[in-house]
Amino acid sequence: MLNIKVLASSSKGNCYHITDGSTPLLLECGISFKEIQKGLNFKTSDIQGCLISHEHKDHCKAVSDVIKAGIDVYASQGTIGAMNVSSHRLNVIQAKKQFNIGTWTILPFQTEHDCAEPLGFLLTNQAGEKLLFATDTYYVRYKFRGLTHIMIECNYAIDILRKNVENGKVPAAMKDRLFKSHFSLANVKEFLRANDLSMVQEIYLLHLSDGNSDSDRFKREIQELTGKIVKIAGY
Amino acid sequence: MTNISIVKKDTVDIVAAKVKEFQERGELHFPANYSPENAMKSAWLILQEAKTGKNEGYKPVLEVCSKDSIANSLLDMVVQGLNPAKKQGYFIAYGKQLIFQRSYFGTMAVTKRVTAAKDIDASVIYEGDEVDYEIINGRIKNLTHKQKFGNINKEKILGAYCMITFSNDEVYTELMTMDEIRKAWSKSQMWGKDQDTERQGSTHDDFKQEMCKKTVINRACKKFMNSSDDSSLIMKHFRRSDEALTEAEVEAEISENANSEFIDVESEPIDEDSIELPEGIEQQQMTIETSQQRKPSFA
Repeated sequence: MLNIKVLASSSKGNCYHITDGSTPLLLECGISFKEIQKGLNFKTSDIQGCLISHEHKDHCKAVSDVIKAGIDVYASQGTIGAMNVSSHRLNVIQAKKQFNIGTWTILPFQTEHDCAEPLGFLLTNQAGEKLLFATDTYYVRYKFRGLTHIMIECNYAIDILRKNVENGKVPAAMKDRLFKSHFSLANVKEFLRANDLSMVQEIYLLHLSDGNSDSDRFKREIQELTGKIVKIAGY
Repeated sequence: MTNISIVKKDTVDIVAAKVKEFQERGELHFPANYSPENAMKSAWLILQEAKTGKNEGYKPVLEVCSKDSIANSLLDMVVQGLNPAKKQGYFIAYGKQLIFQRSYFGTMAVTKRVTAAKDIDASVIYEGDEVDYEIINGRIKNLTHKQKFGNINKEKILGAYCMITFSNDEVYTELMTMDEIRKAWSKSQMWGKDQDTERQGSTHDDFKQEMCKKTVINRACKKFMNSSDDSSLIMKHFRRSDEALTEAEVEAEISENANSEFIDVESEPIDEDSIELPEGIEQQQMTIETSQQRKPSFA
């Protein structure tokens, strides 16, 4: 039974703990290792690996400490190069080349973000559950079959962002950057419409922007669209 | 009435009413030689002929694009005092969004109007040319440029400059090296990801001199405009049409690429021995050992 625990999800830091009962994994480590330990009641020794989507600090802040703790890290060559760390625990993974960690089989795929070589992950386990993890991407190139769990970024709503630019809360240049780096509510909806959701049990909305989002509204609108259980990964 | 004539009546009337409102509030004054009605008529003739790109199947833009975007693009054009018949801008469809994209003639026209510039001139510098200038208080001053006719050779361009002259004979100069110009060109959609020089037969190659001038003029005008007062309605639309272009480009990219290709992960039967913990062994010790041994196995 797939269990997802959100340790942090915002531009200040992202970290998720997932397990299928036999192989616990970390997705991202963008908070201090102490916070990760606290969030998991100091049960970090059984973690079998940490997948990192890209090199921005809010996704990989604790990478050195994770390695020190004896946890293998998996990321693209571009991400590893940009994180500027070296260790035998770093494993280079490639888009569209699947690999195994314990009971998980993981297919990385290309995402769209302003960094070296960002990845998203499609994970499946022995129980046949299939989890999609996609964050910091302004759209997803791909469609997926038989997803049971979705963890997807839902960063901003264009109408809220426009209002914030108009009244000066957000600089105009920031808006242009968001457009080409983060997932908007409207585009997340397009993504969900394009995919077969019949097997989906729950949808986690990740990485909501501080000022350009509205968690109640995002949850409601995605629930109305999909009829699924929608959880906001809290910040 | 056909569909298109309904669209015309709706959008043109809306835009005309909006323009009138701006004029009445004193927010907008057109130069004596600019007639918004004529510009809109020209625009409409052009729009009736305009087709979408290959991806949308060369359909008439007036059928494909949203009414809002048609009205907004016309409003952007009129407020900036531009006329598509003078090639001061083009209407381009990005998906369902119609955008009025200013040409560099358009940028020059707006700059003259907003900043009271008298002349905007650009010139290309070739190998062998004599160029001399001073930098005073961070500004290029007294640029002189001597050229021999024989130096003109599009394969030997070193750079280009643009001078905006004002009625009080103040001059603003913008200078770009060929490297900088190429950097700017590389942002265009025509350039491949790692391309660093113009492709043979491309517009940037065939009309290199003109393209250099265009780039330096655009840079000079935009820099100058952006450093000036931006409270005016014209500046608002000058910016807005740039922003709308950025947004529409991203939207078009998303609708072209997103959610298109199926990929899937194949669950692999695993080697039970490598993960099952033998009973009776202290768990923590075991996990440390296994995590050291286990490397990813790639399919």
